[in-house]
Amino acid sequence: MFDSCAETIERDDFCSLAPIGWLHHKMQDSFFLVVGTHSCQGFLQTALGVMIFAKPRFATAVLDEDDLSGRDVLEAVQPLVEAVVAEHHPGAIFLGSTCTPEILKMNVAGCAKPLEALTGVRVYPCRLDGFDPAYTQGEDHVLQAMIGRCPPTDDKNIVILGCLSAIEEAEIRLECAAMGLPVPAFLPNESALDLPPVGPATVLAPVHPYLYGSVSYALRERGCAIHQTVFPYGPDGTRAFFETLAAAFGKAVSYAERERAAWAACLRDVAVLRGRSVSFCSDTMLELSLARTLRAAGMHVKAVGTPNVYRKFHGPERARLEGVEIFERPDRFAMFARLSADRPDLVVANLNIANALEGLGFNVKWSTELTFQPIHGFNGAPSLFGLFAASIRRHDALGRTRERSQTAATPIDLTFFREPARA
Amino acid sequence: MKLALWSYQAPAHIGVCKAAASFANIHAVLRAPKGDGYGTIMLAMFERLGVVPPISVCAMSEATLAGAAANIPAVLREIDARLHPEMLVVTRSATAAVLQEPLDGEIGMLAPGDIKAEIFMASAHPVRDNETSAFALTLKEIVAHFAQEVERTPRPSVNIFGPSLLGFHDHANLASLRRMLAALDIEVNLVAPLGAAPADLRHAGRAWANLSTAYELTAPVTAYLHERFGTPTLDALPFGEAGTTVFLRELCALLEIPSARIAHAARDAKLLWYARTVDAHALSGKRVGAFGTPTTAAGIARVLRDELDMHVEFVGTYVLAYGEWLRRQVADLTANVVLTDDFRTVAKLIDETRPDIMFGSQMERHSASTAGVPCAVISPPAHILNFPLGYAPFVGYDGANHIGDVVNQTQVLGLEHHLIETFGPRNQGRFAEAMPEGHDAPRPAAAAAPQPPAAGRPRPQQPAAIPAAGDLRWDPAAERLVSRIPFFVRKKARTNIEKYARENAIATVDERTVLAAREQVGG
Repeated sequence: MFDSCAETIERDDFCSLAPIGWLHHKMQDSFFLVVGTHSCQGFLQTALGVMIFAKPRFATAVLDEDDLSGRDVLEAVQPLVEAVVAEHHPGAIFLGSTCTPEILKMNVAGCAKPLEALTGVRVYPCRLDGFDPAYTQGEDHVLQAMIGRCPPTDDKNIVILGCLSAIEEAEIRLECAAMGLPVPAFLPNESALDLPPVGPATVLAPVHPYLYGSVSYALRERGCAIHQTVFPYGPDGTRAFFETLAAAFGKAVSYAERERAAWAACLRDVAVLRGRSVSFCSDTMLELSLARTLRAAGMHVKAVGTPNVYRKFHGPERARLEGVEIFERPDRFAMFARLSADRPDLVVANLNIANALEGLGFNVKWSTELTFQPIHGFNGAPSLFGLFAASIRRHDALGRTRERSQTAATPIDLTFFREPARA
Repeated sequence: MKLALWSYQAPAHIGVCKAAASFANIHAVLRAPKGDGYGTIMLAMFERLGVVPPISVCAMSEATLAGAAANIPAVLREIDARLHPEMLVVTRSATAAVLQEPLDGEIGMLAPGDIKAEIFMASAHPVRDNETSAFALTLKEIVAHFAQEVERTPRPSVNIFGPSLLGFHDHANLASLRRMLAALDIEVNLVAPLGAAPADLRHAGRAWANLSTAYELTAPVTAYLHERFGTPTLDALPFGEAGTTVFLRELCALLEIPSARIAHAARDAKLLWYARTVDAHALSGKRVGAFGTPTTAAGIARVLRDELDMHVEFVGTYVLAYGEWLRRQVADLTANVVLTDDFRTVAKLIDETRPDIMFGSQMERHSASTAGVPCAVISPPAHILNFPLGYAPFVGYDGANHIGDVVNQTQVLGLEHHLIETFGPRNQGRFAEAMPEGHDAPRPAAAAAPQPPAAGRPRPQQPAAIPAAGDLRWDPAAERLVSRIPFFVRKKARTNIEKYARENAIATVDERTVLAAREQVGG
């Protein structure tokens, strides 16, 4: 699945430790202990803004020379886990393995059971390395570890898989009630110990396009029925999501009217987007779903770059993107060449290159924001389109100011630092 | 293994990349898993670069673990062909170092002339070096690599070492120094690493003297130039108004030029006069602590004592290798010199000594505000707030003025307590809700307020801050849902929901009302 693309020289991406940011907020009794290097610690500190809030519920167990030369992992990590338990009293600890333990073939996962026995605190082992996964797939690996601990069941229940905000969960709960479906369970919940039962009759509905690993795991280990459709972004995607869910329980429900109403609620922003063109640079793995709903909203999708495409899992999204060029793990230089040829009205890009693309004259929507804004469902659709429309409105408004004043917004480039003092 | 929550210094490879990328026409190539390349994002964001940062990551993958070659020649060839740098500086992260890949061997297999740029393997050690030592070493190595035998400039000139990308107010510091040197008619021969191209580095030996903005970053390069060309380095630190005058007088002596024009350079300086005005009288005897890099801690502590008559309680640094240097610098200010790279030790010290004003990094600002102590940020590690659009130097006469403003503002406003109340851990983010009490809660400034026990138990639902108006009722589920909306938009959302409910003749707000209102009215 991770065939490396010959084209790829440079990728613009975060480390898959990044989802710790939203996961530790969601699971209020969790503690994330990352076994890795000083770089892992530096990344967490930088990406998650620990600078301002100095008592975070995550930390790095930094490997030292003894660890690198073969010291027993359990012996090394045990006092650290005990310290975390004593200071933070977590309900559960997520013990993350990173790149270096993978290289050294350290059995970090194997520490979970003995640590649990020693401390009495639940320990979920999860792989959070930054090799091939998109950064959002860190959540995928965490959820996979949690599914492994879900109690078995023979009931036909609904499990909504993926980290959502309370307001996004509420919509799903209310719709299920309206359709007469079982009350849905969620994973994750506010407690890391709150695990829904999962069994062969469970309908497992992933809400994020980056949860391939945990869905495959649930299918393999528990034989769940997988809710296979597009993801609940935009009125079109949400309609398919709920109709497919109803169908899994033998109910034919039409959400046509609901979809129409949801589009109507988005009219103001959709009017701004309609007829404009957009390209996605590779980043969050939300690219296929967002491109699909923006296309449904009347945008011209020029090209979609995305870190990983899974044939079956992403099949329904791809089917609705017919005719759009999709680039899996694109090379940065090749991507820039395509953008220069296409000149889209809007580019969705990672923070690494967002300013550079603005410097080249593109209008950029930074993609990271899309992973932590509540944009799922009919209810989140106005926010979703609002984020993109705001970029276009802002670009147009500031463009008018520059034009009226005949003042260019000169990008800061490297020659700026060669010039003598401007002060 | 050692538990690490937060560090003053980044890993060594970030130091190498910072130094290398700061030069002009030099490109850093990092062999590492892609996540280790986060320095490029900091560079793009903090410096607000309108171009792709000159750092590339040759990413390790699953295939690498299975034995695939690093393929670093392909990366070097691509960058060479597209960006035409004069030099490619290759380094690796600790993770890559563990794998012990034969990068040299792979690079050695490039055909001669295949790549136009020079390829340079940085020698900083990915594990044993830290950000500071790796930066200092890389700066020295690159300058040494290019420097040629040259004649001294005909007129008095200096090299300025230290300013870099991702530095602490470095662009403004450099502007401040240039402005003074221009007033003294002293030529700037070279600034490095910021903006120095290989062509500039070739004539590094032409300067009459070397200046430094950060001793811990420049000691190796200035020692090297002294040994090779005999170029002297000015020891004085250009902090404060009096400090800057001493600095310039020593510089004039070193260059053997008259010092009469120093008064001209000092024409806008106001700090010493500010200190005489009644406004500043209250500063006398105020107890201060200074913690940061050796240079900033030493420089600021001296300004506070010598120029503002404050009492220096302690001075400290996290760059442990320069602890003794710092001790010598501040010997006449205080004997209490703290050497630690653990922010909790500094936090504890602030809490115990309770200075009237703390001077430190962004981390001390946080620690001090938790303890109810006002704090001014004067030292790296740099934070986005340390990249202001305006002119805010810390060195030279302009820097002295700015330090005066910083002291003044910190002293008068002392807003930290309110900020931590508003933006503290319990109020952040998308899931800003039901954070267990006594878990992450900041300690109240006034101390001794009893903490509720039962860590991990959710807080009981508080009644909403805004009372529901008159006829409208809220059912508990709807209250709960609204309590989950981030605090800074909660009030607006609530108003919108109630407006929507009244317009639609809804007597009791339930979850459906909340959802419908969000969709129709927004918020």
